[in-house]
Amino acid sequence: MPQGIGKIKIRLPRTVRKGQVIAVKTLILHPMETGLRTDKKTKKKIPAYYINDVSIYYGGQLITHEDWTIAVSANPFMSFYLKADKEAPLKIVWKDNKGGVYQKTVQITPR
Amino acid sequence: MYKKISILLKTLVLPAAVMLVTGTLGVGTWAQAATQSGNKIEKLTPSMSYAEYQKRYEKYYGDFTAQMAEEGNPAEFLLDDGKDLANKVVGSKGKSCASCHGKDALQLKGAATTFPKYNAELKGIMTFPLQINTCREKQMGAKPLKYESYDQLALTMYIKSLSNGMPIKVSIDGPARPFYEKGQVAYYKRQGQLNFSCAICHVQYAGYKARSNLISNNKHHADHWPCYRLKWGKTGSLQRRFRGCLKNMRAKKPPFQSEELRNMELYLTYLNNGDLIQVPGMRM
Repeated sequence: MPQGIGKIKIRLPRTVRKGQVIAVKTLILHPMETGLRTDKKTKKKIPAYYINDVSIYYGGQLITHEDWTIAVSANPFMSFYLKADKEAPLKIVWKDNKGGVYQKTVQITPR
Repeated sequence: MYKKISILLKTLVLPAAVMLVTGTLGVGTWAQAATQSGNKIEKLTPSMSYAEYQKRYEKYYGDFTAQMAEEGNPAEFLLDDGKDLANKVVGSKGKSCASCHGKDALQLKGAATTFPKYNAELKGIMTFPLQINTCREKQMGAKPLKYESYDQLALTMYIKSLSNGMPIKVSIDGPARPFYEKGQVAYYKRQGQLNFSCAICHVQYAGYKARSNLISNNKHHADHWPCYRLKWGKTGSLQRRFRGCLKNMRAKKPPFQSEELRNMELYLTYLNNGDLIQVPGMRM
């Protein structure tokens, strides 16, 4: 099993003005095994292991929910636009098919 | 024993080879192989100047590299782990990297710029990952880290990233000179089923296309390792890249940190003298 699964990086603009549409960029470390590859040594299928559920909360309220499939690359990068109209935490939760839950919260403080 | 056999073989094989060459069978290929197998360096003229290559790169890939940089480098996650590893006490002597080199091993700033260099104990070229492993074995009494493993890459990347922004200054004076020449011979030596050398692609045909990829010029080849490659989906070292290229040439792959690969690394890094170190890199 590769090390470092579930490490998350979220990047926001340095200064956020109230009501501004900002780009949030996220990166998570995950192998995203499709379940279709075979191990060259043991000749067995590598079991599927991928993120299939992403949800984004802003101020405790669910704003987006995404279903991901095996077609998404390893170490997936995701970015989205957000209207920063209140001072609230932004929480992003990734869930994979083996029950792993990875989440990170950043505080958005518009000036 | 081995010598006797080799002498016997030579006495038997040489006349046979001469007969083959002079005979009708495969004259051209035998003659070619004979001329290229020596220590001679093939004279290759670069196809285009570096400025011309850069122009082609921009035309072909556009702002792809800028986009990649914006998306963020997954290898940066390893940096934090490398910092922890530098402070972690391991081995029988109860030491960590930090106990000799200061907190977070910060005294090693700029250490990576002079590697690979000649080492008298090794009687060969010392590369940066090998230096870390010998340090672990001799000074700390710890097990050497397995090459291309997560911990090894993380530690190498962290200590190398301390000298980010500094120019590479590898010296080939004195005892390092014969190893540099060996590396140069290896770089220009034709090998494998496809009869390629490194220089054929990266000197003569740099700027042209191999399938759908632009063949890169040998500048900026050694300044960003360990690097995250999209093709691998992982972080890897320069020697992994060497082995990948050798596999594409259908040639023999020497093991990690073997003499051939270390000499080749010295030659390539010397060509890149003056380039600024940027670790971790990100490439296609």
